[in-house]
Amino acid sequence: MSSESIIVEQLSKTYQVPEREGGFGAAVRGFFKRKYKDVKAVQEVNFKIEQGEIVGFLGPNGAGKTTTLKMLSGLLHPTGGTANVLGFTPWELKPDYLRSMTLVMGQRNRLAWDIPAADSYLLAQAIYRLSDDDYKKTYKELDELLELEPLMKKPVRNLSLGERMKVEIAAGLLHRPKVLFLDEPTIGLDISGQVKIREFLREYNKRTGATILLTSHYMADVTALCERIIIIHHGQLKYDGGIANLSRRIAPFKLIGVRLALSEDEGLGDSNGRDLSKYGDPVQNEEDAEKVYVRVKAEDVTKVTSRMLSELPIHDITIADPPIEDVIERAFNE
Amino acid sequence: MFNIFKRLWQVNWAEQWQYRANLAMYILYWLVSPIIYLSVWTSIATANGDVNGLTANDFITYYMILLIVDQLTSNIIIHIFGYKVQDGSLSGELIKPIHPMLTNTLVNDIAFKTLNMMLLIPIWIGLTLLFKPQFDSVSLGGIALAIPAIALGYAINFLLSGIITSLAFWTTRVYSIHEFYYALIMLFAGQFVPLQLMPAVIQNIARVLPFQLFMYLPIQIIQGNLSAQEITQGYVTGILWFIAALIGFRIVWRRGVKQYSAVGA
Amino acid sequence: MHSFKLISTFIKINIQMAVAYRADTVVNILLNLMWLGWELLTLSIIFSNTQTISGWGFGELIALLGVFRLINTMMVALIWPNTEKFNQSIRDGSMDYTILQPVNSMFLVTFSRITIWRIWDLILAIVLITVGINISGDLVTPLSIAHFILLAFSGVVIIYSLWIVLIALTFWFTKFDNNVTILHALIDAGRYPSTVYPIWLQIIVTFLIPIAVATTVPLQALRGDLEGWRIIMFFAIGIASFIVASQVWKRGLKQYSGASS
Repeated sequence: MSSESIIVEQLSKTYQVPEREGGFGAAVRGFFKRKYKDVKAVQEVNFKIEQGEIVGFLGPNGAGKTTTLKMLSGLLHPTGGTANVLGFTPWELKPDYLRSMTLVMGQRNRLAWDIPAADSYLLAQAIYRLSDDDYKKTYKELDELLELEPLMKKPVRNLSLGERMKVEIAAGLLHRPKVLFLDEPTIGLDISGQVKIREFLREYNKRTGATILLTSHYMADVTALCERIIIIHHGQLKYDGGIANLSRRIAPFKLIGVRLALSEDEGLGDSNGRDLSKYGDPVQNEEDAEKVYVRVKAEDVTKVTSRMLSELPIHDITIADPPIEDVIERAFNE
Repeated sequence: MFNIFKRLWQVNWAEQWQYRANLAMYILYWLVSPIIYLSVWTSIATANGDVNGLTANDFITYYMILLIVDQLTSNIIIHIFGYKVQDGSLSGELIKPIHPMLTNTLVNDIAFKTLNMMLLIPIWIGLTLLFKPQFDSVSLGGIALAIPAIALGYAINFLLSGIITSLAFWTTRVYSIHEFYYALIMLFAGQFVPLQLMPAVIQNIARVLPFQLFMYLPIQIIQGNLSAQEITQGYVTGILWFIAALIGFRIVWRRGVKQYSAVGA
Repeated sequence: MHSFKLISTFIKINIQMAVAYRADTVVNILLNLMWLGWELLTLSIIFSNTQTISGWGFGELIALLGVFRLINTMMVALIWPNTEKFNQSIRDGSMDYTILQPVNSMFLVTFSRITIWRIWDLILAIVLITVGINISGDLVTPLSIAHFILLAFSGVVIIYSLWIVLIALTFWFTKFDNNVTILHALIDAGRYPSTVYPIWLQIIVTFLIPIAVATTVPLQALRGDLEGWRIIMFFAIGIASFIVASQVWKRGLKQYSGASS
């Protein structure tokens, strides 16, 4: 038996999206004869993943990550190419395959909202035909790693986001899958929540030798867990290799955000319109309009910051890692 | 004031127009039970010649008129308003200087009703072709006399539903309470059967309750089946109930809002 | 065997839910009793004004009410709550998880919600049927009981299959969350013998939304009004509709995963 648990060859998915114009007349015409537009979500992607590897699957929103994960888990039929996971073709949805893999999507709930997770776990036990002994053993292990017990008796809707993610992930692992597809497993969690999930995944991988393919918005997830990274952009594979090599390709940089204390008659807050281009590349940020951001090379951060502090009436300053999309967009779009 | 209603109308009409696809389904749902009762009573009247003096045509005209009158006097405020208390979106409306229920919800309901009527009328004409009612006893005078009764029926139903919906300030079970209210309408408004075929006890209770204004009274006025005295009696009962419902609504609403702001939802 | 174990787990979970919302459960039972009273009142009002309604007597309509409640129990205990869950799972994407479980997804979609306390409606239905038949004085033989059970069962299967087809349409038309309104609206027509309706409505409730096949027809079999070939035909329709529904469901899943076209 080969040691590769996932083999993907020339995998492609093209969606046909109906083109709709506005208006009633167009809707009527569209009812009889629809125009379709092809959207190539995934284009001829190839990769192989060894048993026991943890691989980070990265790309900006809409790059085709989720589509690929859905094909590998069996939810979506590809329009071309093949995939082989643990010897199965995923989209045949063979029960034996479904029993040996799991898909966890950070933004979707698997557990019933109104009842305690313990009850949903019992249902999973019945669905996956787990013997009481096996179930108890697995549960005990998961409890050890995630401290589930205090969360089991409360209705899921009463759990915090972080707690809910823990019970959700554990629910997907009760049947001891050999392959884990995790789509944004840490999304929305605070830093300590992210760290906990990360540590759990590392430990789980070490103990069970399960293969993990995960997508994440957070660079830290990936750098902490994965030695290997696959990057996909506009549906195409852009990079497949070690994380160290990647950082050589992407010049590391940071984002400095400042809020300026303006003179009294101007009031405080609106820092927009100030030209900071002499410190670095100005960056648009819609989430926080009161701050202005500049992109600066990582090694220059200290220098630039001290210059800004001495030259500008700074009210508030932050230094942050740029979002992962940004990094990839810059690295592969140019 | 007129301006406010005009603006509210524009907004709510646009909103209801968005949901027009759901409307066909709603109308279908709402047509079925009168048509069932129409069929049941017509088949009995045809087999026996008449039912207590009512002929098959009497039943057909009764239910055909009911389809319109029921639509005009009913409301959907529990659906428009019920959830707003629970999910907290009411807060935004309470701070506006207009009454949420008596302006926005009212206009929304009327917009919904108008759209419904646009769909209902063609269907209604289709049904008259299928059931072939003879509206011999219907006169313009009867219709003119029934219009205020329909308006009064709508107003009373709106206020009573408003009271029930306002109970959402205290309990999450307003839908169950509303179901009970709906059962009362089924029983006392003459939906299942023209009230004169009900047992005498129920008829006597129905006469002092407001529900007959929702269907039975306007229908009978349109059909010209009531004496001047009966019509006067019906109107007097209706007006008394309208006053009572208005006072009741004001009290419940005020207490409810107080309760709401005390809990701080 | 495995199916039974799953259903019993579902029942266990749904009991938990009923307990968690026990006050609602009590209120619902009271409302249910109120509607039963309402139904009996309407029947007694009808029969205070007439002896028969298109050839059916008081007792027979009580029995029909029993059969109607049998179907209605399936609706209220399984179909409405699972429709709600199904539509929700299409909207929020949790349908993905349902598909990825190593159990037939049609089975999961059918049984994951069960309004437990409605089971008592079944007992009530059987009481109504027995009492109604007794009042009517119709002659009932073991054979006609067997026919009744056979046709009541296939009636349930036909309505169930129609439901599966209606919700499966959501796989093609994702915004179609009014999918069961037509079923919901017409189910009430099952309270009365279909022969009272005008012919166009009879056609609708027999062929389009075959609620009459699930209520009027089994009772006709119980009264011995139905020829043998009709009994076989209705039973065959039951089986055929289930097969069609399973196929539509499979196609729907393929559509959902993009395997069709």
